[in-house]
Amino acid sequence: MTPALLGNLGVSLALAFSLLGLALALLAYFQGDGRFLKGAKSLLLPTFLAALAAFLALEWALLTHDFSLAYVAKNHSVKDPLWVTLVTPWAALEGSILLWGLLQTLYTLLAGRRALDPWRASWVLAVLFGVQVFFFGVMATIASPFETLPNPPQDGVGPNPLLQNHWMMAVHPVLMYLGFVGLSVPYAYAVAAMVTRRYQTWVEETRWWTLIAWGFLTAGKVAGMWWSYEVLGWGGYWAWDPVENASFIPWLLATAFLHTALVQQTRGAFKAWNFAFVTLAFAATVLGTFLTRSGVIQSVHAFAEGPVGPAFLGFFLLATLLGLALLSRVSREVRDTAFFHPFSREGALLLGAFFFAGWALVVVLGTFYPLLVEAFAGAKVSVGAPFFNQLSAPLGAGILLLMGVGPLLPWRRPRAEALRNLYLLLGVLALGTLLGLARGYTVGASLAVGLFLYNVAAILLLVREGVLGRVRAGLSPWGFLENRRRVGSLVVHFAVALMGLGIAFSQTYRLESEKTLYRGESWEVAGLRLTFQGVRVLDEGRRFAVEARVQTDRFGEVGPRLHFYPQMNSPLPAPKVVYTPGNDYYFLLMDFDREKGEWASLRLIVTPLVFWMWVAGGLMALGTLYILWPQARREEAKGVSPA
Amino acid sequence: MRWVLFLALFFLPALGQAEPPPDLSPEVFRIARELRCPVCQGESAAESNSGVAVEMRRIIAEMLQEGKTEEEIKAFFVDRYGEWILYSPPRRGVTLWAWVLPGVALFLLAWGLFAYFRPRKVPKELLEEAERRLKEPPA
Repeated sequence: MTPALLGNLGVSLALAFSLLGLALALLAYFQGDGRFLKGAKSLLLPTFLAALAAFLALEWALLTHDFSLAYVAKNHSVKDPLWVTLVTPWAALEGSILLWGLLQTLYTLLAGRRALDPWRASWVLAVLFGVQVFFFGVMATIASPFETLPNPPQDGVGPNPLLQNHWMMAVHPVLMYLGFVGLSVPYAYAVAAMVTRRYQTWVEETRWWTLIAWGFLTAGKVAGMWWSYEVLGWGGYWAWDPVENASFIPWLLATAFLHTALVQQTRGAFKAWNFAFVTLAFAATVLGTFLTRSGVIQSVHAFAEGPVGPAFLGFFLLATLLGLALLSRVSREVRDTAFFHPFSREGALLLGAFFFAGWALVVVLGTFYPLLVEAFAGAKVSVGAPFFNQLSAPLGAGILLLMGVGPLLPWRRPRAEALRNLYLLLGVLALGTLLGLARGYTVGASLAVGLFLYNVAAILLLVREGVLGRVRAGLSPWGFLENRRRVGSLVVHFAVALMGLGIAFSQTYRLESEKTLYRGESWEVAGLRLTFQGVRVLDEGRRFAVEARVQTDRFGEVGPRLHFYPQMNSPLPAPKVVYTPGNDYYFLLMDFDREKGEWASLRLIVTPLVFWMWVAGGLMALGTLYILWPQARREEAKGVSPA
Repeated sequence: MRWVLFLALFFLPALGQAEPPPDLSPEVFRIARELRCPVCQGESAAESNSGVAVEMRRIIAEMLQEGKTEEEIKAFFVDRYGEWILYSPPRRGVTLWAWVLPGVALFLLAWGLFAYFRPRKVPKELLEEAERRLKEPPA
């Protein structure tokens, strides 16, 4: 047995099982025979095991330096450290599709275990098996991770140095894929609900899955932002790069669904929107892969290009068309007829859905605009960060505004108490904004301060409401903590407000400066005094590192580096970041005197409140985890109000 | 000095190193962030370390020292590379639509939502039908 043999066997078996599963699931529905459904379910575990075998075969090939595999020869070197070798399966196209396929079989296995009526179960399985047919089909044909080379080299060059420069690379892609793949389950539930024309129960049943996917997606995005900040050496975390946009779009749509699903659960409305959001969120994950992997759009993320573009485009169209065609078929039955009072919870959630969907639309338009202009007018145009920032600021502010007042509004129509709360909150907003202006901040930054305080006030009012309600009913106030969905969502909302504050300040008050210093020379910048003391050279085996020794008056010695990889013809900067609660100090070595080490060119980037963005990212993950903690569902089942 | 040899062999020809780079003020980076690096995969002239981007930053710094305004500096790069160099598409010609479309799209979305959620009257025929059935004796 060789890795190539085991890998090809695993992929082929997974494809065969998925095809069989798809056929059995469809038969189960159209024949109305439970035995077919049983058969399809019995294939879940074998499919997962086949995919796992294929994945382990790739790890085996990497660990044993089996350069007869094209993937290993292209992306691995015997000099790679162990952790880099272990994460190399997702360093390039074929391996990441394999990881995606593996995670898909895992989700299908877990989703298939859930009890559902046989009609919907058949369709849920059919859709998930169908998705697997696509991924393993791609691996079996155009992007095989187990293609062999007739003349294997003795050693390869290793993965892209950007990927081995930071341990985050082990984490960020896996989180991203767990999020992307996770959205296939709600999609499958939605398709099943539309085919069987049962429009209500699926929302409750898939909320858990969507929240899981959303949590991974959020964590993956924050991890990616942090990776970009620490590795790419430009001192930023978000560049509106097409690939960032591509993963932001499903995040926005999934967020929209999590909120409108609440309305359907509580009031039975927004059915059509929920179907649309879930379909589009899943389709957007496929579209994102098409964008990243096809080379149609220039991007810093194009690590892994290949011939899979048309396949992913076709799959995207298929998934979208299936969802939207089903939706148009049932549209008369899922239409809402009730009137919504604008000052009610559902009114705020509807407006929120508008902001999320509108934001997704704006990002799609901006991302594809250059492509369309080039295709139809032949002209080259750029749509970049300044454009997206200008359009995103009002949309983000609108969301922050709704996020505060929405949860305080009662369902159906406003009560006097809710209006009093609203006036109080608007007072806090105005006061916070004026405070910011008085401190000399820009209008945007002042508004961000106002919105942050406004949201904190809203959360305090909600906690007060919840705790007082319990005390009045003679219950322990601590019982409030057991309302996991409420508490978790408050934590996430607080984190979003904090993130908003961090984004506003770090975007407005970033200071970036560069200066060439001779040995012993000092530089006074941004309240900091730094002295260049020379360079130091380190031979780290797979790379050379040149480190500038910079003495600062506040943080001691810092050592920003340049990394020289043999496979790259220009050095990669490895910044040194000093995180403080107020400002981040981001030191970069840009260039140095190669003859005597007499001078070095240093860049310093000072960015306020970035530290709190990582705190906010952590809080979002913790809040989501708190909601998902198993006990929460037991509590709800016992009849404690979930909202 | 193995590393000197190593660097000399691999990097000196690629980079060339005549003199230390010039000092760059925050203003330089602010302007460079609005300009695309012509040879990079979607990076601005502030972020990229390619030769062209380094050169662009140097030019911006020089022009600022000569007292040129931000508009003049951007115009200089547009002359050289075309409007494609601007990350914020100009609000005229073919790129005006980049700004107009999102507004139009948001308006259509809002209008669609409003139209969809507008409470609808039940059609008259249905009401009459229901009334008739109420009056008729059960079959």
